[in-house]
Amino acid sequence: MGLLNDTYTLLLRELLIFKKNFKVNIIRSMIFPIIFIILLGAFGSTPKNVPVALVNYDNGPASLQFMNLLQSGNSVRVVSSTTQQAAMNLLSEGDVAAVIVIPGGFSRSQIPKPDVYVYLDNSQPQSAVVVNQVVNQASSEMAGRLAAGTAPGSTPNPVPVVSNYAYGAASNYESFVVGGLVIMVAAFGSVFSAGFSVISDRELGNLKAFLTTPINKFAILLSKIGYGTMQSLLSAYIGLAIGIALGATVAAGFIGLLELIWIVFLVGLGFGSLSIALAARSKQLQTYALIGQTIVMPTAFLGGAFVPISLLPPVLQSVSVVNPLTYAVNAVRAVMIKGSLPLGDLVVDSAVLLAFAAVMVAIAFVLFRNTSEQLS
Amino acid sequence: MLSLSEYAIEINGLVKKFGDLTAVNGVNLRIKKGEIFGLLGPNGAGKSTTINMLLGLLAPTSGKISVNGIDMLKNPERAKGQIGIVTQETVVEPELTAEDNLMIFGRLYQIPADELRKDIDFALKLSDLESFRKAYAGTFSGGMKRRLETAKALMHAPQILLLDEPTTGLDVQNRTKIWELLRKINKEDNVTILMTTQYLEEADQLCNRIAIIDHGKLIALGTPSELRQKIGMSTILEVSGDKEMLPKIAQMFRKAGLEPQTLTNKVLASAGSKPVEKIEKILKLLSASKIDVRNVSLHEPTIDDVFLKLTGSEVRDETGSFKGGRGMIMRRG
Repeated sequence: MGLLNDTYTLLLRELLIFKKNFKVNIIRSMIFPIIFIILLGAFGSTPKNVPVALVNYDNGPASLQFMNLLQSGNSVRVVSSTTQQAAMNLLSEGDVAAVIVIPGGFSRSQIPKPDVYVYLDNSQPQSAVVVNQVVNQASSEMAGRLAAGTAPGSTPNPVPVVSNYAYGAASNYESFVVGGLVIMVAAFGSVFSAGFSVISDRELGNLKAFLTTPINKFAILLSKIGYGTMQSLLSAYIGLAIGIALGATVAAGFIGLLELIWIVFLVGLGFGSLSIALAARSKQLQTYALIGQTIVMPTAFLGGAFVPISLLPPVLQSVSVVNPLTYAVNAVRAVMIKGSLPLGDLVVDSAVLLAFAAVMVAIAFVLFRNTSEQLS
Repeated sequence: MLSLSEYAIEINGLVKKFGDLTAVNGVNLRIKKGEIFGLLGPNGAGKSTTINMLLGLLAPTSGKISVNGIDMLKNPERAKGQIGIVTQETVVEPELTAEDNLMIFGRLYQIPADELRKDIDFALKLSDLESFRKAYAGTFSGGMKRRLETAKALMHAPQILLLDEPTTGLDVQNRTKIWELLRKINKEDNVTILMTTQYLEEADQLCNRIAIIDHGKLIALGTPSELRQKIGMSTILEVSGDKEMLPKIAQMFRKAGLEPQTLTNKVLASAGSKPVEKIEKILKLLSASKIDVRNVSLHEPTIDDVFLKLTGSEVRDETGSFKGGRGMIMRRG
């Protein structure tokens, strides 16, 4: 009762201060996502050697020529597959970014030609874009050759291509970036509120004043963690809203957005506690801000927030496995791009984030215990 | 609140060590209920460490502190509830209104919700800030902030008020307001006051008793007049001047048969039984040597002189933010 009541009082204080600076806070939470989405949206990189599985049910000369066209640039690397089922398995396991199916009868001079089917993993939007480009290019190239009579058959029409997305939403780079951005601003949100306010309260003497009142000192810690977590949620959802306004889509819809509350909450809890542990040890605001920044940015980056983890060097890929943000980013992408957060993913992501948060809360408690001694 | 102890604060054998350094070395102190008590000491004497232990911020290495008979170490939360605190730094939250500042601390001091409203009104009235209820504390002047903080410390009606340099940096008007406030609550509500100050004259005028602490030990304790008598000093002869002149001035003191003590901007000595004779002598010597001085005076020993004699130093060196001097303090009456 006492601890909770005092925590509530101190949280109320943070919220009253927040209310006073409401506009500045909201604008600050908006600037970062806007800049980031615009900047990164323009830099959607084009990957090379994207692995694609090719299922050739034709084996005629035209299909072989089509295959060669696909591989002529080094944009895609073709992995042959005997059946569509096997190829689709590779796709779902993430071994290939797309499956291209050349139907039987492709080489026969029949009009219209049967469709070439493309299945794309749109959780890797850059790769999906590249595969689509290559296939369409090969298709019109084929049409040109057919018209010029350089290939068997004589159809002037381009080879029709039907693209299918593996997941619910037609993905775009914005959705990919926003997925990572949401998690990064969530982490930043708590780091720059929870630990930050511990340091500024210490500098202003507020911390000392709280400690001289008849309260349990952990109420101070809890209120700061609570405040950090709230700021995480606020930043994340402002980031999401801006992302959606700038063209990102949420495949799982409104329900998906609600699912993310839990994930963002855990990120806020973990990073808020981490920031308090940091604040307990750094004397100056500048030092703290520097450390905070150097932790959050690389962690978000290694978590695949902006570049797919598969594109990172192998050493860094193994770091990503133990990076809590990898799991948070995965959860957001699942909701935004795949259209739902599978139960298995939810359990794994939650478990990792929960463990991370628990360890950080424990560290914050231990380091905060000596705060009053350090103040004097 | 009923308490069996006749003392507001009891400190027994208090020791605090930081590694090899012994900051507080066996302090014993009993502060009676209803007293205004001054704790003085040069920087680094152990004064702040003692205060921090009294506030429950620092755990003593050994010794015992009880507040209204409640053991600070065994029952810190209850003991802290007995004390109202005004710290050296003015701690009001600039981003909150006067009212919200009080509300938050009222809640932290466990004032029940149904009394909080009334107590906030009382505190605002006490600090003469009723018309600034909804104004943000960040817009306040230094004096207003200090008054708000003092009111904040008194809101939960503590029986003991602990003030760490309550008037440092305040102008004469605000200082006088704080003094009036302290006298009023001491007299009307019988609140025990323990204060530290850099203004020794303030201690002289406000405090019933004074303790001087140096090198972690109590070196003097008594009423201001007791302390003055105790060191048995006669009239003080004081010459102030530029820093580079001080050694020469001190030399003149020796020529006149006085034992000079050189401070940052003045030289002084006990003038013995014939002060007028001594001042004449000094004036002659100074003018003969063409030494420029700013001021030459004779005065009765003050607490500053007692302090100087006992600790061998001024209360705070002049390089600090504090520009002291009795001229800054308005004399009563």
